[in-house]
Amino acid sequence: MPGVSPSHAMTEATPSTPASDPAGKKILMIMTTGPEEPDKTYAPFYTAALMAAMEIDTTMYFLMHAPELLKKGTAEKVPLKKGGNLKMFIDMARENGVKFVACAESCRDLCEIAPSDLIEGVKLVGSATMADLALEADSVLSF
Amino acid sequence: MAILNGCEFPGDRSYFIERTQMTWVKVEGERIVVGLTDPAQTRAGKILHVRVKPAGTVREKGKPIATVESGKWAGPVLAPVAGTVLESNAEVEQDPGLLNTDPYGRGWIVKMSAAAPAELVQLLSGDAALARFKEVLEKDNIHCVRCQE
Repeated sequence: MPGVSPSHAMTEATPSTPASDPAGKKILMIMTTGPEEPDKTYAPFYTAALMAAMEIDTTMYFLMHAPELLKKGTAEKVPLKKGGNLKMFIDMARENGVKFVACAESCRDLCEIAPSDLIEGVKLVGSATMADLALEADSVLSF
Repeated sequence: MAILNGCEFPGDRSYFIERTQMTWVKVEGERIVVGLTDPAQTRAGKILHVRVKPAGTVREKGKPIATVESGKWAGPVLAPVAGTVLESNAEVEQDPGLLNTDPYGRGWIVKMSAAAPAELVQLLSGDAALARFKEVLEKDNIHCVRCQE
């Protein structure tokens, strides 16, 4: 695009005409990053919130250190580059209907989080459930 | 035109105010026009993308008629009443910033039919709408600004 810098081109508003309505599809997002890398945490929640708003049945599965993001009081301490913290993105995803599922083993053995220390609405499941969710989904995204 | 916290509320339309939704509805003959309110566009921030359901889409009340993205917010615009999308605003899809700069004018989102006229009566208008907006603006500490081009 002549005269337009790459950075501008990236943020330029573009009309989006979907080939087909994604409503009713299922997406599973695998989340492995925890609060140790703040820059990698907000985009998945933002994307999940958007997909849920598009009526896509959206589930985020948290394993390894990612469940730490769902520990009460943690998201407020994860800073964002443009100010604010991660909590607003987690709240936005929940408001839009994103389902949060956390690996029970990761919570117990790696993150040492008691179920009562997780924010409201998180479902604890075994590892086999990740396989079920992945096979049921139309697409699986990993972060 | 009423103004609260710098937010403008034209008196010639009704408002759908539920949970995160703050949209306006204007009756034009047999159809209604729907768009974001001033506080809604302020809360979203500079809107970068909007995707509007195409004409012919049948919606129940509370189902998305559009999705809106800014750098800090992504969410649906919900149908304030049940009906069918008759026309989506191609101009806002080309230039989503219109939702920020002219939310009550060129930034309209859809024109749709209303399947159940009784639902239009349930929308808030006049003093009732302003009272509800006052609660929301104070609770969420919203002071309106209009993004410039």
